[in-house]
Amino acid sequence: MTNGWTDVANADVVLVMGGNPAENHPVGFRFVMEAKRVRKAKLVTIDPRFNRTAAVSDIYVPIRAGTDIAFLGGLIHYAITHDLYQHEYVKLHTNASFLIREGFSFEDGFFSGWDENKKAYDKSSWNYELDAAGYAKVDPAMEHPRSVFQLMKHHYSRYTPEMVASICGCSAADFEKAAAIICSTGKPDRQGTVLYALGWTQHSHSVQLIHTAAMLQLMLGNIGMPGGGVNAQRGHSNIQGATDMGAWNMLPGYLRLPRANQQTLADYLKETTPRALRPDSMNYWSNTPKFVVSLLKAYYGDKATKQNNFAYDFLPKLGEADNYSWGYLFDHMYAGQIEGMISFGMNPVANGPNTPKMLAALSKLKWLIVAECFETETASFWKARELAEKYYSTALDSSGINTEVFLLPAACFAEKDGAFVNSSRWAQWKNVAVEPPGQAWRDQDIIARLFLKIRELYEKEGGKAPEPLLNMAWTWQNPASPSLSEVSREINGRDAAGKQLASFAALADDGSTACGNWVYTGSFTEAGNMMARRGQEDPTGLGLYPNWAWNWPANRRILYNRASADATGKPWDASRAPLRWTGTNWTGDVADYKADAAPGDFGAFIMLPEGVAKLYASDFVEGPFPEHYEPVESPVENILHPKVSSNPLAKIFRTDRDPIGSAAEFPYIGTTYRLTEHFHYWTKNIAGTSELQPHFFVEVPEALAKTKNIRSGDMVRVRSARGAVEGRAMVTKRMRGLQVSGKTVYQIGLPIHWGFIGRVTGPLVNNLSPSVVDPNSGTPEYKGFLVNIEKI
Amino acid sequence: MFVTDRSAMNEPRVSRFSVAERVIHWLVALSFLYVALTGLAIWSPRLYWLAAVFGGGFTVRAWHPWAGLLFVVFFTAMFRNWRRQMRLDRDDRRWLRLSHRYAVHDFAGLPEAGRFNAGQKSLFWMQAIFGLLLIASGIVIWWPAVMPRLLREIAVLIHPTAAVISIGGIILHIYMGTAAVPGSFRGMIQGWVTPGWAASHHPKWYREHVGSTGTTRSPSR
Amino acid sequence: MIEAFIKAISATPGKPAGVSRRTDTVAKMIDTTTCIGCKACEVACQEWNNQQVTFGNFEGTYQTMPDLAHNFWNLIKFNETESEIGTPLWLMSKYQCMHCVDPGCLKACPAPGAIVQYTNGIVDFNHDACIGCGYCMTGCPFDVPKMNPATNKVHKCTLCTDRVSVGLEPACIKACPTNCLSFGTREDLIRKAEDRVSTLQSDGFRNAGIYNPPGVGGTHVVYVLAHADQPEAYGLPKDPHIPWTVALWKGPLKWIGNVLLIGGILGTFFHYVRYGPQRDE
Repeated sequence: MTNGWTDVANADVVLVMGGNPAENHPVGFRFVMEAKRVRKAKLVTIDPRFNRTAAVSDIYVPIRAGTDIAFLGGLIHYAITHDLYQHEYVKLHTNASFLIREGFSFEDGFFSGWDENKKAYDKSSWNYELDAAGYAKVDPAMEHPRSVFQLMKHHYSRYTPEMVASICGCSAADFEKAAAIICSTGKPDRQGTVLYALGWTQHSHSVQLIHTAAMLQLMLGNIGMPGGGVNAQRGHSNIQGATDMGAWNMLPGYLRLPRANQQTLADYLKETTPRALRPDSMNYWSNTPKFVVSLLKAYYGDKATKQNNFAYDFLPKLGEADNYSWGYLFDHMYAGQIEGMISFGMNPVANGPNTPKMLAALSKLKWLIVAECFETETASFWKARELAEKYYSTALDSSGINTEVFLLPAACFAEKDGAFVNSSRWAQWKNVAVEPPGQAWRDQDIIARLFLKIRELYEKEGGKAPEPLLNMAWTWQNPASPSLSEVSREINGRDAAGKQLASFAALADDGSTACGNWVYTGSFTEAGNMMARRGQEDPTGLGLYPNWAWNWPANRRILYNRASADATGKPWDASRAPLRWTGTNWTGDVADYKADAAPGDFGAFIMLPEGVAKLYASDFVEGPFPEHYEPVESPVENILHPKVSSNPLAKIFRTDRDPIGSAAEFPYIGTTYRLTEHFHYWTKNIAGTSELQPHFFVEVPEALAKTKNIRSGDMVRVRSARGAVEGRAMVTKRMRGLQVSGKTVYQIGLPIHWGFIGRVTGPLVNNLSPSVVDPNSGTPEYKGFLVNIEKI
Repeated sequence: MFVTDRSAMNEPRVSRFSVAERVIHWLVALSFLYVALTGLAIWSPRLYWLAAVFGGGFTVRAWHPWAGLLFVVFFTAMFRNWRRQMRLDRDDRRWLRLSHRYAVHDFAGLPEAGRFNAGQKSLFWMQAIFGLLLIASGIVIWWPAVMPRLLREIAVLIHPTAAVISIGGIILHIYMGTAAVPGSFRGMIQGWVTPGWAASHHPKWYREHVGSTGTTRSPSR
Repeated sequence: MIEAFIKAISATPGKPAGVSRRTDTVAKMIDTTTCIGCKACEVACQEWNNQQVTFGNFEGTYQTMPDLAHNFWNLIKFNETESEIGTPLWLMSKYQCMHCVDPGCLKACPAPGAIVQYTNGIVDFNHDACIGCGYCMTGCPFDVPKMNPATNKVHKCTLCTDRVSVGLEPACIKACPTNCLSFGTREDLIRKAEDRVSTLQSDGFRNAGIYNPPGVGGTHVVYVLAHADQPEAYGLPKDPHIPWTVALWKGPLKWIGNVLLIGGILGTFFHYVRYGPQRDE
């Protein structure tokens, strides 16, 4: 979240799209209800299903799964044509005035630079036009035909309400009704927030989708504002923390993992440290060397010296084509390229797409270690055929699987301390509630012992490239059981004297500081564990609660908060000003700016080389402006450009277990989602939650059910090109046929949560979903794929 | 029967009720007494002490419906035995119209009673009808979780109403069978009455059986 | 903290001792317009009351089970309907004991002390005194009390009288994430509900209103409904009354019956005194 849960109460309009917070974030949703009750905020829900959030919404508009970019693009178009965007904000705080090089174009579904052979873009034509000093040229009037604003206006001119209606399947009137409310927040004194979740992130064009939302919010002047922002609701208690600590292509703190061509630290830093694109850009990422060197010092301690480039060579490097995100990982595994897997706190058989492929991939491993508090489908993948023959008749049965599986009993969340980082980016420390039962160990104990044993084996027996392991700093008081406070202190960082750092501003690139994750510097200072704070003071009255836990970065509650004021530092909305410029410094929230820099000194978006927010962003692989592409499996063609129907860069895996279905055989749209009653694939092990929703079911629109002679409670089978699920039909008025380019399209709702192991069992809905991922994030397309349904 | 075994008590005896009739009557009576007393405990908090006598409220509530079922079984047996003899004829109807005279011991002009007088017959039919109402409403009350609300709402009214009337009838019956008409009780306990009793209270019956047969066979049929 | 004395006891004639003091009454307010059907109240109720878990059948709805159960006292009803203009409506409302001011269960109960109404308004069952007759199930116009077939005891929401009596709010209130549920004195909550209704009315919900049915003297669970003209759409009875048969049975009929029975006994006695036995002729 750019803002935070408590801040949602400041909104005048809450747009919920690609999420269902009433269902999946009921506790955070209290702030939506507070906004409604206290501020009379309007709640607008756009979703394929009339869901729990829709039930308390002021406006609900149905939409076809996977067409959100069309809807949001339509909103941008609406804001421009109805002149509802916030002119001053757009001019001051975005790159709308930047000029793009000659040669940039968009035609027939492709941006300029498409290389049909490589199936990729040469992005050079997407760059800014630079002046002699290397800064981007701007036209403050935003009238230059190659200004971002004019290009954007042109790009979205196709997204008329009628076009939105025929793509999304809603009515143009409903769209305009919602648009009028959403775009009413383009006024400086009205703020609108956007709440989204996996309904946006799980598409083959998901990153661009969120880009569109950011564009809309920037156009409406809602970024950096209390009650505004683009707010991702995280689906697990600590998924935000997990993301912050690194992913397949990221080191902790959003530092890029080195690539094979970056053989020296200098090469790496040169390529990863951005250069300012405007004279007034603070370009905070220019500090990248400090973050990287401090991280290497945390990893390798005294072994990281100036002489050895701070042990940069010990870091793994990604080959040019390497990708270790989810879909690729299991694809490699299916190809037999992976020997073993350690799975902590996740259940890939259940939560990965295309379960049959997942099972086949795991059976190619030599060994699999699963550390879990319950037996999971992953730990027992070899039982799948035995337990669910009807879905996995082509899977190997246990006699044919040679994978050696170790299920290590692990402690659950209440049996560990440490911090959870929630959607608001609050790192909240928690204590151990109960000791782990029986033989269960805490994760850190398991990992530490694995580390010590492996290091011992390398020491004794040698091996290929043992240096990263042998030189790792392992300085915990109890090497076999590091305390999480100790780990947190290292994440925060310390100086040469061993003193805890108070701020990442103190990080240095000379090896004098060590820091495990620069965005967490300040979380565990000399004053103690900031994450354990529980102060309920709210000096601004905006629900920022600066003394409650600790908010990365720098305890800042609202990101980009400098954008809440104009060029002179005057807040756009005096009633909701997170920052005030006193003439010498900024007060209120922790400024997302230099605390004592005058309003005109820098651009408001200090992390970006532009110094302003990007409406136009060439960072993504499929284009600088988001474009509506159909899901890879779609019942209709893209009416904007039928030849380039789906995202040309969507990664579609092509093994014998990755079939793609056709609309002729699978005419309906399947979409998966969670229910309030359950948490992921865990709570099917728990009696109390299973009581509330014991049975897997399939939500079927009433009209479709009628044609198929399906009544509520009937057993139905839903099939996709990958597999099938069977369950009871829930025939509902809450899902309806949508008119999409003159054709009635039905969607079928498929809640997750069940599996072949647990207190209550049912089919894994990912039997149906495709191995198709977003090219930027690697997230699978769980929302919107083709299925058929029959009564059984 | 009729009559005339002087051996034991040295007085003439008229056999009134067979052993089977008496056993059934008393099974009906005892089960009725149980359901009535336990029912009264539930009927009024002021009579809840009766529940203690019969083992506490929970036990009483649990056994009352089963006892009610027993009552129905016994009553059915009694009903099968007596239903023909209980038919009201023209004399009975006239008797009923003049029953206020009977109540004040003004027997002149009253039609003669057969084996059962019209009062007894009326009681019989009344108990049969109210028994039916009681069992029907009782079953509804017994299974509140499965019975429809409307039936339950009607049943909670019918059951106590029928019970009160039924108990009222039985109070009268007990009075008549004991204090009011001496000799009757023995008829139901020991099975015989004196010829004088028979002739006074059930002259038609006495005459028919003694007069016609002079034997000592049972007059009950 | 609101002190609680006994205000009324089932099947017990006369006034309970110690009621001369007037105390505030407690209530729950359910603002259905902010209910998201998250079932946190259901879980809190189950956990606090340590209920035995049962897995029901699939009923084609999000609702946990079709009706309250002896081991499930707090149920969110999911009512799927349509507005006048044909858009879907999904009305959710928490259902539980209403803690009537004039409780039909207590009226119908024949077991002295099995049902108690406290001066704070809470109607509670005392299972030691309960005889398992189920009359309360018929007396209740909301169909709330449910019998455990294994024990023949009847159960329902206690309004967490155990928590309330030590100054805590009921478990469901504690768990509610959206402030749809509030707890306080009945007077305050009715005022709060009125405020909320006027807000809703000004927001265009012309039929918004309070559900506090007068047929049972009002309730200690008060609802705010956006469509108060049709409480049935929320699974609430339109105009609940204690069934007239129950009222008749526990009221006039009882006196008429008592008079009849006592009159019968006395009547026969005095008949004997006056007329004596019938003599054989």
